[in-house]
Amino acid sequence: MAKAKKDLSKDKGVRAVAELLMQSAKTRTSCAPIAARLQALGADAAYAAQDIQTRAALKAGRKIVGQKIGLTSTAVQKQLGVDTPDYGMLFDDMAYGEDEEIPLSRLMQPRVEAEIAFVLAHGINNPKATLSDAVRAIAYALPAIEVVDSRIKDWKISLIDTVADNASSGVFVLGGAPKKIDSFDLRLCGMTMELKGEAVSLGCGAACLGNPLNAVVWLARKMAQVGRPLREGDIVLSGALGPMVSVTPGGAYEAHISGLGRVSAVFSKA
Amino acid sequence: MTADIAVLATKLDDAARFAKATAQIDGPPISVDDAYAVQKASIDKRLSRGERIVGMKMGFTSRAKMIQMGVSDLICGRLTDAMMAEDGGVISFKKFVHPRVEPEVAFLLRKPLIGRVTPLQALDAVEAIAPALEIIDSRYENFKFSLTDVVADNSSSSAFVIGPWRPRDIDIANLGLVMSINGRAQAFGSTAAILGHPLRSLVSAARLAEAYGLDLSPGHLVMAGGATAASALSPHIYVALEMERLGRCGFSVEE
Repeated sequence: MAKAKKDLSKDKGVRAVAELLMQSAKTRTSCAPIAARLQALGADAAYAAQDIQTRAALKAGRKIVGQKIGLTSTAVQKQLGVDTPDYGMLFDDMAYGEDEEIPLSRLMQPRVEAEIAFVLAHGINNPKATLSDAVRAIAYALPAIEVVDSRIKDWKISLIDTVADNASSGVFVLGGAPKKIDSFDLRLCGMTMELKGEAVSLGCGAACLGNPLNAVVWLARKMAQVGRPLREGDIVLSGALGPMVSVTPGGAYEAHISGLGRVSAVFSKA
Repeated sequence: MTADIAVLATKLDDAARFAKATAQIDGPPISVDDAYAVQKASIDKRLSRGERIVGMKMGFTSRAKMIQMGVSDLICGRLTDAMMAEDGGVISFKKFVHPRVEPEVAFLLRKPLIGRVTPLQALDAVEAIAPALEIIDSRYENFKFSLTDVVADNSSSSAFVIGPWRPRDIDIANLGLVMSINGRAQAFGSTAAILGHPLRSLVSAARLAEAYGLDLSPGHLVMAGGATAASALSPHIYVALEMERLGRCGFSVEE
């Protein structure tokens, strides 16, 4: 981990933000945006706040099973006034299987987005990783629905808010039919996500940074830079292929990705 | 009402011919049937000037489009040969009022298609499938219109570009697409936006053709409807569409 980051993790303001977000998650009570508190220190401080929470989670016995990449759509980046994606950690207790009911009680203000997930055959510890490293590291692609969630009231987030809040991650569902990445069109694969047969989100592979592999390359470099390199077996949620949608209680969302298959996220009624 | 239809047809034909916006239809609301009668009378004027019918277009087939336009009914319009622009060709901005472009799927028919048909019958009538771009251009001021306004105005259809034809056995349910302007992605989507499956639009086309007296014969085209929200055109741009498995098409816009 970089020196500057260690210093930031000792910053009082950073620690207070991490504490507030952990408390918010624990009590499932959303909090006001925290961006103003870290604005002077910038995005590094937000990642430091995230890292404090990650370390607390590991200490509590949760295991990291992968990473999510957020802010991968140029439309969303414009909305937040940023030109970079962000990342968050995926923990073992966030994973749900296809058609397994997700209890709303563990979420606050969930939204769903359809993505391509990658499973890594081996790690990448290279701050200057290229597409070659990403392509060789990926074992399989899987269709995924990421359930994003925000500890910030009404999703009033800026870059700093979402970074400090583990990139607004919630839980995720992976489809169980792995495909090799040369078996479908990563860039032009169509995506439709339906609720009761009606399309609620539409898009394609290119909506994620032009190609989901671009997101993986960004993540690989970033994680190597911050001292948590991608590891063998990691699950990478590469970023939304279409707009995110608020979850309806009891809803069953079914995403189809052309050439990759389908996956569904089923929510409890309450 | 007959006189009104002729007057409205002339108003809309002139607006299209001279690329000059016209006011929405005023007075008591006209029926949808009358609106289609105006559309036919207006297109008949083009036919009398030597244009010929080459197919039909479907409109308001996507949720994004319905939200953008604030309507909930499917509509159709007539395509003539003069509206066809070449793939890779150039269109002239000044021939339009306030043109927009949207990505679509086009069907080429090998059999007549009319009335209530099953998806299987509709697919059997298809010779080939192509990626396509439709240039929509409401002849009304500020692109504002009611359902009957837009139907009378040939459902805003004004020009179209068709890409390479592919065999009909390609599964078109969920093909990803990227529409770009000057090489920068402008819209991402899927053909699933077109009524959940573009073939449903063709089934509806057969029904609307019978209801409003349009012709769907062998050799005719059907533009299935926009798959994303439309983007405004301006001079000196290049618009391109890439569609999963179907390939690409594009056109340039000059002054």
